[in-house]
This record gives sequence, structure tokens and C-alpha cells, in this order.
Amino acid sequence: MRWSRSTSVLRQIAAWLAVGVFFFPIFFWVTTAFKPAYEIFNQPPSVWTFDVTLRNFEEVFGISLGFLRQQEVLPGGGNFYMAPRLLDSLIVGLFSTALAVAVATLAAYALSRMAFRGRHHFVNWVLSTRMMPPVAVAIPMFFIFRDTGLMDTHLGLILVHALMNLPLAVLLMKSFFDDIPAEIDESALIDGASRWLIFRRIVLPMAKGGIAATAVLCFIFSWTEFLFALTLTQTSLKTVPVVSSTFVTSTGTAWGNMAALGAVAMVPAFIFILLVQRHLVRGLTLGSLKQ
Amino acid sequence: MRDHDRKLFLASLTDRYVKRQIDRRSFLRSAGQLGLGLGAFGLGVTRPFGGHFTPVAHAQDLRPDPDVLAWVREVSKPFAGTTLKLATESTPPSNALNSQLKQYFEEASGIKVEIEVLPLEQVLQKLTLDIASQLGTYDLYYIDQSWAASVSRDVFDPREQYAAKPDLAMPNWNIDDFLPALVDGICVYEDRWVGVPYDIPIFIMMYRRDIYEQLGMSAPTTFEEYLRQAQRISAETDLYGATGQMKSGHYSLECDWTAWLWGHGGSIFNADRKFSGNDELGLEAMAYWDQLYKTMPPGVTTWTWDGQGQSIAQGVAATMMSWGEFFPYFDDPSATKVSGLMEAVRCPAPVRSLRTVEETGFGEIPGVGHQGGSSLAVSMNSKAPDAAWIFMQWVTCQDTQVLITTLGGGTGPTRNSVYDDPRVIANNRVGPGTTRHLNVVRETIAKDMGSEPDLPEWAELSNDTIPVRLGKYFAGDYGSAKEAMDDIAKAVDGIVRS
Repeated sequence: MRWSRSTSVLRQIAAWLAVGVFFFPIFFWVTTAFKPAYEIFNQPPSVWTFDVTLRNFEEVFGISLGFLRQQEVLPGGGNFYMAPRLLDSLIVGLFSTALAVAVATLAAYALSRMAFRGRHHFVNWVLSTRMMPPVAVAIPMFFIFRDTGLMDTHLGLILVHALMNLPLAVLLMKSFFDDIPAEIDESALIDGASRWLIFRRIVLPMAKGGIAATAVLCFIFSWTEFLFALTLTQTSLKTVPVVSSTFVTSTGTAWGNMAALGAVAMVPAFIFILLVQRHLVRGLTLGSLKQ
Repeated sequence: MRDHDRKLFLASLTDRYVKRQIDRRSFLRSAGQLGLGLGAFGLGVTRPFGGHFTPVAHAQDLRPDPDVLAWVREVSKPFAGTTLKLATESTPPSNALNSQLKQYFEEASGIKVEIEVLPLEQVLQKLTLDIASQLGTYDLYYIDQSWAASVSRDVFDPREQYAAKPDLAMPNWNIDDFLPALVDGICVYEDRWVGVPYDIPIFIMMYRRDIYEQLGMSAPTTFEEYLRQAQRISAETDLYGATGQMKSGHYSLECDWTAWLWGHGGSIFNADRKFSGNDELGLEAMAYWDQLYKTMPPGVTTWTWDGQGQSIAQGVAATMMSWGEFFPYFDDPSATKVSGLMEAVRCPAPVRSLRTVEETGFGEIPGVGHQGGSSLAVSMNSKAPDAAWIFMQWVTCQDTQVLITTLGGGTGPTRNSVYDDPRVIANNRVGPGTTRHLNVVRETIAKDMGSEPDLPEWAELSNDTIPVRLGKYFAGDYGSAKEAMDDIAKAVDGIVRS
């Protein structure tokens, strides 16, 4: 099909508008991080031109990176040691993602390939756990964590985030495995390969895109999770969403600081997505065409 | 250069930088000549909300009293190695404590103090969980005045602690120095003290002096005058005459409402402990509020105190009757457009005489100066109550309060003596962290302070039941103020009865 020049131009304009709609909030948030306080709520809003300052970044990361001494009184109660908090988030995000994907991949392969009694019920049961509101389990989890010593620890939060992501990861991975023809497994079985060998050498490489897509989703869910991170942590561990809320003070919100942390917090997620991007595109389109 | 001269020079340098008499580069260069390097920059920076600043008072004066630290050192010996935990709202005192002051206590006592700073709602969640589970996760509780009734049986009465443990009692702690009105309004529930007053945000009147001079007006002394002035400012200038914190469903909306209600002689509850915001005086207050609302910026029904403060800071509105803690922020030239232009006075006089405590219910104290203070108390579930008690005495003693007030950006002290301390008075000038409004705060506490009722259901009523319906009223969901108030009465009485 040939497009006329005007149609092509209109399509490009529409595409740029769509990009603009999605990109503008990020642009505004990031630029807010570089604005002095008096510019942030300027009337009319300072969207394109404003005084640029790095002060918000200095305040948020300066103490932990050693170039601003702990002399100031800052909102957030001196919790402006945000570099360690980013590290906390990274540790929890990466390890919980690895754990969830590892377990989910094995479970999903079994659900996809192995016939056993009650398999469909099992899949429904996995799905049903996503229907439970997290707040319903937050308080029981609090007691369990307190009694088992997992409270306020990386391990505890990694386990919770992995558990939280597991149902979604299992279902996603199952759909990816379902899209890989079972005949491949059967041929390999006839050739004498074991299930584990088939899984590891044949099916897993074919599902790399799906694993990447699942990992990205798990990581983003962990990176942005708030309720468990708030309830199950105290002072020795905090993730980015929880510390972001400390900028909400009794006398207002430190928007510049919050934007600075938010802008920097986008970077690890962005890098993670970039790293798996090649597989991600495949993963997202995997299964879009049925044989 | 002698150490004394060096400190004086640094203090003077900081003062000049805070007042914008020298730029950042010159400040850093001069500080570098003193051998302080980049670290000195922390002394002079100025930022919004909550006091990103260092006060003008000399640095050597802003250290804890050696005698106080000596007592801490002596009395804490058996508790060295203990870790205390406190969850608190991000308030100027808590920020000053966490950022700067607790290190002195930790060094002297050997007790580690972990302060978890959170938004108010999250503090309530953590505190509720800790009390319900009796786990003793937190040794000290930060208690908003609206929660006092709910937690009164879960904390130690500080008077009993002081009497029962003479060996742990701080000399000259002077419990009588706490402003009596604050003790009544924040801490006392039935026969107990629910901790001691810790901080005191309170409604005062703040207005743009330049606008008032331009229009030939003086600060309002009555509610009627305030309304007329707000209408005139809206009509004759580019600014809105008033502003508010009227976000639907938020506690801030309930705070605004009570100021107008009390100021018209009404009350939330009557002597029969029934909701009385729907009586004649309550409806008169609503009519007044409706008029004032027309002089506020668009969007005011989507703001809490954050947006309210911003509307003044950005030069959008000219007056507000709200939390005095905003005032030091308004004086910060790096954060606002109104530095040096704002003045603070007591709230306008009520339309008619206020109801007495006997005429209201649940210990409600009507007054145009709505207070939102909080207290600090030792949890009964704490596993180290004695160490926590030592820390609490240190935090709330006169010397530490002075440091909190000066370092915390001009936050209102809860002790009488702190207002007269030279280190606090030294900051009585235009600039970030100013204390030039504190005399108004003290006077308001003594003469105008209004306190919400004490009942276990109040947290729910003030954070949900009332502001949700008030929000619906301003969204036009009710046919009249009477209809809205009757609906609130039905809901409130239903919850209180159950």
C-alpha cells in the first residue's frame, strides 16, 4: 500500500504527538529536578526556560556521596542519604526478579508441557493469588517477618517481592512456553534427551525473549512497590518509593528533592530495560502469531 | 587566626551569605580560606519548607549545653549499646533532631537512636500496628494531638516516670515550663498526660504588608474585616485576597473548617456530645466560609497546606490564616517571592464569644488559633523504657528545644523559656529560619488556641468522615450547607454512638 505524502506527514505528526503526550510528564519531572524552589510553582509555569540548579541533587545525594556534610536541616529528617537507598532498591529489585523468574520459568515449563492431574485448577489457583489485595496480607506478613527475623532485611523484602511477582511471572512464562511448539520437545525426547536437557538446551534459549519481558515486568513491579516495602522495613532498609514519601513534610512537599530522586531512580530501570531490550521486543511479540 | 576569631568570621560570613550579601562562589572561597572547604557550604544554604538552612546565631552557641550532655553521659551508662527507635512525621523539630542533634546524644550516651521519618499517615499506620501487636518495635511514639485519646493507655505518663525514677530524672527538666495551654490541648486525656508537648504548628494570620500598605489597610482585627479586606484585595489587585487548604477528604480541610466554626462561636460537639456543626452558628460559619472561598485562587479545593503555602510563596494570594510554621519559609528569598513582605499577627477576633469547654463535648477547646501539635511519649511496649525516657527528657529539655527551634527553621517551641532565649531571639530578622513570628505564636497559644476534641474515634472523624463530606459540599454535591452539615451530623453521631 502506498501512502500519499500528506498522509505520511500526518502520520508522523500523530506519532510525535503521541510520543509527546507520554514524554512530557517525564520531561517536566526531570526538569523540575533542575529548578530552584521558586521556579517549581512559578505562575505561569516555567516549562521551557528557568534558572538551572544542581542544588536538589546535591541535597538528595550529597551527604551519601561525601560532598555535602551533614550540616543542614533538611526535610526528610536527614534521610537525604539516597545513594544507599537506591542501592537497597537495586538489590531488592534484581534479586527478587532473579528469584521470581527462576522459579516461574521452571513452574511454567512444567505447567506448559507436563500433564498432571488438576493442572488447569493449579493455573487458576496461581492466577487467583493475584486477585488478593496486598493490604490484606501486609499485616500477617508483618507478624511473620517479625517472628522469623526477616523484618527490615534485604532477604525479607526480596522474598516478598519475588512471591508477589511469582503468579504473574508463571502465567506469562507459561504463555511463552505454550507458543513454542511441543513437537520440538517430543522430537528431542525421541532422540533420547532428558526433560531437563530439553528445557535447558532447547526450550530456554527459544524463550529468552519471554524471560526478558517477564524480568522487566518483575523488576518494575519490585522497583515501584510501596506497601510491603513500607510495612516490612524500618530504619536499616528503605526502597526508593518509601523514601520518596519522606519528602512530604508537615509544612509542605520538597518537590525539587523528590524530583531529583525520581529522576535518578528512573535510570537503573531504564538501563535494565536497555540491557534486555533486544530480547524484550521479541518477548512482547512472541505469541502474537499462531501457527 | 585564633579559633574564636575564626568562628566569628565564619558566623559573619554565613550571615552575609544567608542575607544574599555575597554570592555562593565568594562564600565558598572565603570558607576555603578558613580551611573549611566545600563542607562549609552546608552552613549557608537556604531552602524551602522545613528549614534547609543554618541560623544566624553563632555556630559555637548551637551546640548542646555541656552540663546537659554530662548528665546524659552519667545516667546512660547502664544503657550503652541500646538502640532506640522512633517513627515521626517529617516536621522541623524531627528533622533538626535527626539531621544534627541526635549525634550529640549518641556520643554522650552510647545509645543509638534510629529515627524513621515518614508522612503523618504512615506514622499513624506504624504506630497503630505497633500498639495492636504490642511488639515494642518503637520505643518512643510521636503522637499527633488527634490520636492522643487512642494511645493514652499505651504510653507512660511522663509525670509518673519523673517521680518513679528519681535516679533517671534530668535536673531542672522543669515540666512546668511547658506552656500550660499546650499541655491541655495536646497531651492531657482524662487524667493522664499522653507524653509532653513536642511541636506546635498553630494558626496565625499572615499577610502581605506591601499589599496592605498599597490599599491603605491594616491587619484585620475581626472576621468581618478580614472578609472585606480579602474581597477588596481580590477586586483591586492582581492577587487573591485569601487562600485555603481545602482538599476534599484531607485533614487540612477539617482544620480550615474548625477555624471558621469556632470563630463564629460554634463547636464540633455540644455538651451532650452530639455533633453541633449543623446548628445556627455552624451554618453562619459556613456562610462566611462560602464568601471567603470566593476570594481564593482556583484550585484551592485541591490543595492541602502545601498548595496553600505555595499560593502565598508565589505571590498568588495575599493573606492566609494557617500554620505559623510557614512563616520562616516565606522569609526565605531563595524559595519564595515574598521574602520580607510577609507579616504575622494574631488571628482576627471571633465574631462572638467562644463556647467554653463545658459547653462543648469531649474536651474540645474552641479558638481561632487551631493547633495541630504533637507530643512525644515512651511506649509501654518498649523493651528499653528507661533509655527511651532519658532520650525523651533530653529531646524535650530547654536546651535541646532552643537548638531545635534555631536549627529547625523557626518552628514554635513548646516551652515558655525557649521563646526568650537569646539564641532564638538572634534569629529575629528577615531571612530563612526567622523567629520574628514567634511572639505571635506564643500569644496565640496563650489567648487564641483551639483544640480538637479528644475521643478515640477522632482520627477517623477528622481525617475522613468530616473532610470527605465538606469536600462534597464544595464540589456542589449538596443542595445547601444545611444539608451537608446534617449529613455530617448523622455520620459523626453514628460513629460516636457505635
